[in-house]
Amino acid sequence: MAQNEIAIDVNNITKSFKVFLDKGSQLKERLLFRKRSRYEERKVLRGISFQVKKGEAIGLIGHNGCGKSTTLKLLTKIMYPDTGTITMNGRVSSLIELGAGFHPDMSGRENIYTNASIFGLTKKEIDARLNDIVAFSELEEFIDNPVRTYSSGMYMRLAFSVAINVDADILLIDEILAVGDANFQAKCFNKLKEIKSHGTTIVIVSHSLGQIEQICDRSIWIHEGLIRAEGPPKEIDLEYLDFMGQKLQESTRKELEEKQQEDESAGQPEEEEQDETPEEKKRWGSGAARIKKIRAYSSDGAEQRIFRTGESIRFRLDYTVKEKVPDAVLGIGIFNRDGVQCYGTNTRIDKLTEFSLEKNGSAEIFLEKADLLPGEYLLDFAIETGDGIPVDYYREAYKIEMISNIGDVGISRLEHKWNI
Amino acid sequence: MNTIKELYAYRQMIFSLVKKDLRGRYKGSVLGFLWTFINPLLQLVVYTVVFSYILKANIDRYYLYLFVALIPWIFFSSSITVGASSVVAQKDLIKKIYFPRMVIPISYVTSCFVNMLLCFIVIFAVIIVTGVGVNFAALLTLPIIMGVEYVMALGMALLTSAVTVYFRDLEHILGIVSMMWMYMTPIMYDKSIVPDDLLPAFNLNPMTHVIECYRTVLYNKAMPDLSTLLFAAGLGVALLIIGCLVFNKLQRHFAEEL
Repeated sequence: MAQNEIAIDVNNITKSFKVFLDKGSQLKERLLFRKRSRYEERKVLRGISFQVKKGEAIGLIGHNGCGKSTTLKLLTKIMYPDTGTITMNGRVSSLIELGAGFHPDMSGRENIYTNASIFGLTKKEIDARLNDIVAFSELEEFIDNPVRTYSSGMYMRLAFSVAINVDADILLIDEILAVGDANFQAKCFNKLKEIKSHGTTIVIVSHSLGQIEQICDRSIWIHEGLIRAEGPPKEIDLEYLDFMGQKLQESTRKELEEKQQEDESAGQPEEEEQDETPEEKKRWGSGAARIKKIRAYSSDGAEQRIFRTGESIRFRLDYTVKEKVPDAVLGIGIFNRDGVQCYGTNTRIDKLTEFSLEKNGSAEIFLEKADLLPGEYLLDFAIETGDGIPVDYYREAYKIEMISNIGDVGISRLEHKWNI
Repeated sequence: MNTIKELYAYRQMIFSLVKKDLRGRYKGSVLGFLWTFINPLLQLVVYTVVFSYILKANIDRYYLYLFVALIPWIFFSSSITVGASSVVAQKDLIKKIYFPRMVIPISYVTSCFVNMLLCFIVIFAVIIVTGVGVNFAALLTLPIIMGVEYVMALGMALLTSAVTVYFRDLEHILGIVSMMWMYMTPIMYDKSIVPDDLLPAFNLNPMTHVIECYRTVLYNKAMPDLSTLLFAAGLGVALLIIGCLVFNKLQRHFAEEL
């Protein structure tokens, strides 16, 4: 690869932050507690190297605190690496902080000059871009009003317009495509694509894998300060999603185990009293039968809590029976994070033949195509009698998470087809 | 060298920060920009009353004698005291966006400098109204003196603004330091009355020479002493170099410390 084709060359950078346990920045504290200002050194980056070719767009992905934003900050030269080198060839513009240096009392036009000057543009260059900036922001009528009279949407539109019109050779973006209304977002997105087609090198940090897949040629997955994988976004993003899924599963399993241990240590004999303790609000009913354990399985039979939108899910509930429950009804309710019920049904609604619970056993409900969109869902399970008296109503009995790399929005995916 | 090139590229930023600072400084106050003049004038009245009426300094036209020294001093002292917190005050910008960090102290000192230039209008008005008159040849050296002072003020501002980031007490310490510095500089009195054993300290003080030059040109209507001016320039350049070196070293961790 010829040297002049490389826009960004990151060579084995490391960065650690001092996390002060109690920091004294006053003279007295500095002098008196010199030895005592203890800190922990937290290594955020442990040696990252990558190159970006001119005109290439890359996405940095990773969970919170993995070091991707730090990497971006090092690229902008807001911070410097402890070791290693970064070479940037060309003018850099960053969409990290929009509207830097905006002064509320100055007009939009004056603020364009101030803001653009912070990106290193001279007056002449700004003059040349002014019309483009104003046109892109769609604020022609308001451009001579003070910025304090702008709505927050207008403010962001103006700020984005300046940043995107800098004509940088390298554009660094941190979670910004959340500007203004949907129309303007689409416009920004198209503008980014246009900029990219003109040969600008782009580095994006985003949680929205969909956006990365649309723009980027390559994804770099940073995990605990190291590059874990890089390659075509479609592949890397999937790998990343899988990894995140497993991780989440582990943590929920741990949570569950702890909960179970608590349950067990609470002791069986007092089970009936237990109904009235904290669990009370989440669980009620006659107690003739109780849901003992809930598990969810994917199509290949593995027990898990993370599912992809559209996958099948099989829930299995084990129950114990103390007294016979005639005409039993089993029910399920699925709620999203906002408490909105996404779906609910029971054996009576589904007109299953009457059955009674006589001894310990288990039951299953199979969702052939769980089209719930990404997010956490809480599940209620219930055993009732035929006339609707709760036997064991268990609220928020189980938690699942849906993941997806398609960017559709809402609660549930509706089967659809476009005709164009 | 790279720094200078980069600063040149960011000249528009310096320009707009200066403009913003000058426009924003007295925003919302009734008298607005007039404060630029009222403030030093009131100080002048106080010092004149104390030193020519009460303490009887016995200096001819004391008000002018003081005025031509006080205005340059106010520029210098505000550059170091308020300039010290200039970087901290812009922390939002520094944490979020890249630009050569020196832009901040430079633009702050520059805006103080512009303020001083405006005050010089008042000085000249006083000189003309009171019929003191000017020596035009000597006046030509005035820009050089101002330049020397600017370099000194900038050197100090770079130093104090960078150190303040790591050590916030400095802002408060500087209040006292600048007051002591003012009394240790022949602003309200003549250098001739300084006791001999203190003279070395006065001679090392870069502001002593600058103030003397201003006074020679504007009050005595004479050409400034070349050696004094050169010495001041040398001290100024030394200060600027130290300031730049310290600032460059310290600025690498600004974003983390702020």
